[in-house]
Amino acid sequence: MIEHGPLLESLLAGASICQVTDEEAYRRLSDEVVREELNHFLRPLNRRVASSSDNSVYFLAYQELNGDAREHLSKEFKQTVQSLLPLLEWMQLVQESLGRDGALSAGDTIKFQEFALRTEDNQSLRQRFTQLASDRFFKSSSDNLDAQLKQVFKRLKEAGYLHQPHKDRQFYVVTGKIEQLVEMVRFIKDEESLPLDDMPQQESMF
Amino acid sequence: MASRKQDKDKSPQSRLHALGVARLNLIGKYSSQLMDAYIKGHFDETSINDSALDKLVKGRILHRPDESQPLSLRPDMNTLIASLTEDERKRQINADVAGQLEQIRTLVKHFSDAQYRGDYVGSEHHFQLLTEKVHDMTGQFSDAIVSLWNRLNSDFGFVSNLGDKIRENELAQKQLRRLLDGFELIDFNEMIELAQSSGPLRKLLVSQLQVVISDHSSSLLEVQKRLVELMARFRQQQERAQLISNMAAFLKQHPKFEVGDYPNRTNVPENINHAAPIIASASVALDRVGDQQPLGDIVRSLELSTNEYVEPLSSGGEFDLEEVLAVEAKHQQLKEDVENFFISLFDSHSAVSALDYLEHSKLDWDGETWLFQVIAEYEGLARDIRKRFAFDKKSNETSVFNQLHVIEDVHLSVV
Repeated sequence: MIEHGPLLESLLAGASICQVTDEEAYRRLSDEVVREELNHFLRPLNRRVASSSDNSVYFLAYQELNGDAREHLSKEFKQTVQSLLPLLEWMQLVQESLGRDGALSAGDTIKFQEFALRTEDNQSLRQRFTQLASDRFFKSSSDNLDAQLKQVFKRLKEAGYLHQPHKDRQFYVVTGKIEQLVEMVRFIKDEESLPLDDMPQQESMF
Repeated sequence: MASRKQDKDKSPQSRLHALGVARLNLIGKYSSQLMDAYIKGHFDETSINDSALDKLVKGRILHRPDESQPLSLRPDMNTLIASLTEDERKRQINADVAGQLEQIRTLVKHFSDAQYRGDYVGSEHHFQLLTEKVHDMTGQFSDAIVSLWNRLNSDFGFVSNLGDKIRENELAQKQLRRLLDGFELIDFNEMIELAQSSGPLRKLLVSQLQVVISDHSSSLLEVQKRLVELMARFRQQQERAQLISNMAAFLKQHPKFEVGDYPNRTNVPENINHAAPIIASASVALDRVGDQQPLGDIVRSLELSTNEYVEPLSSGGEFDLEEVLAVEAKHQQLKEDVENFFISLFDSHSAVSALDYLEHSKLDWDGETWLFQVIAEYEGLARDIRKRFAFDKKSNETSVFNQLHVIEDVHLSVV
C-alpha cells in the first residue's frame, strides 16, 4: 500500500488520472487488484476509485451519496454545465483552425504557436476566439490576442483539459478529461432527449 | 534512297519500336508541361509552340475531350502518371476480371490452334502474349492491392476532410468487393481444362495463377477488415464532431436551457459522481523524540524572521474559484475608491480626513479597512509623487508601557 502513497494523494486532491497526465499511475490504476486496495483505504473517507465508461480516466467518486456529497455534486455539476458551451466552442475552434479531421480527443497535441498563428491570420476565427476568451469560463479581459490566447490555455490547463509536458515549452496534450466532457454531452443529450440529430448540419465543420 | 528502302523493308515490329521510342521521347521532352497538366487538369497551350502541340495531340498524349474544353491529358496518360507516382487521388483500380478472362480464353485457343497446325513460330508468339496477359492481370491485382494498402496506411491522407475520407473509404470497399468478386470468376477447373495436357500452359494457368490468387485473396481480406475498422473509426469521429457542434449550436439557441437535477436523483449517474478534493496535510509534531533532531535541522536551515508570518496552506477547504474571484473583485473596487479619494484631494485646498471622505462619499467600506488601504496606497506611491502629498497620521497612544499607537484617522492634502 505504501508504494501507492503519492498516487492516493493526487487522487484525493481531485486529480483525474489518464494516460496523458500520468502514464505510470494510469497503468497501476488499470489493475483491478490495485483499485481494490485503494478502495479499501478510501472507504472511511467515503471515496472510491471510479472511471469513465471507456476506462480512459480514473478519479475519485463518493462511496455513499449522503447529503454533503449530493450538495457538492450539485455545485460541481452546475459548473460543468455552465462551462459546457465555452469548452465545446473551444474544441470546434481548435478543430477548425488546425484543420483537424475529427473533434479533439485525448492524446491530441496542440502547439500554441501554430494555433496562435492560424487564429491571427483568419479574421473570422479571430473574432470568434476573442468572443470566446471573454466568456466567464475563460475570463480574459484583454483586447490583445496573445494575452487572450495565454489566458485561455492557462484556464484549460487549470481545469485539467490540457497537459503541458514541459514547463517552458508551449506544447500541450489533450487529456482524458475531454473524453469525460464528451461523455457528459452524450449523457445530457440522451437524458434530456435533445433533438440534436435533427439539427441542420454545417457541412463545413467536418 | 538506300535508307528509305531500308525503312520500307522494316518489319512491323521495328516500325512499332521506332514509333514507341519517338512518342516516349515526346513525353520525356515535355515532361514538365505534362506534369503541370496532370496537376491542373488541363494543358497550358501557350507553354509550347503549335507544332509541338500538334505532335503531342497526334502522339495520342493530349486530347480535347470536347470542342469547348481545353486540351488535357488522355486518360491513359493520367493513369500512367498516377501509377508511376503512386498518386492515390487518381490511381485507378482495374477490377474487370471478366474481360481479362475472356481475352485469356481467346489467346489459349489461338495457341492451341497454332500448335495443332504445327505453326511453332505462331504458337510461341501466342504463348508469349498469353504469358503477358496473365502477368498483366495478376500485376493489376497486386497494383490494386498495393494501392488499397497505401490508402489504408495513410488513413486516406490524400483527401483533407472526414466526409471525403468516408466517401473514399466506401469507394475503396466497393473496388475491393469487385476484385474479390472477380477472383471468384476465375474457375480453376476451367483453367485445367483449357491447359489440357500442355505442361507450360498448366504451369501458367493453373499452378502459378493459383498461388498468386490465393495470396491476393488473403491479402484483400485483410485489407477489407482494416477498411471496415477504419470506417468505424471515421464514423465515430464524425459522430463525435457532430455531437459537439450540434450541442454547441443547441446551447447557443437555448441560452436558458436547464438540465435535470441528476445529483439529487435516487440513482445518481456514474459520470457525475466526482468527489470533492481532500488535501492531506501534516504539521510539525514534537511528540516523537526521534523526530526532534531532523525537525531541528530543518528549522535551523530556514532563515526565519519572527516578523514575517506566512499563512500555511489550509487543508480540507475546497478550492472555490468563484469565491476567490469575488474577493479579488472587491479588493479591486476598494483600490479604485481609494484612488478616487486621492484624486479628489486635488480639488480641495485644505487637508481632508480619510474617514470624513469615506462618510461623505457614502462608501460601504469598514473604516479600518479603508484607512489601511489609504495608507497602503500612499506608501505604494513613487517617492517623487509621495512628496506632493502632506500625510498626517492621527494616532493615539493606548498604552504607556509598550508605546502602542493606534491610528485613528489619516489627513491628506496636496502640497
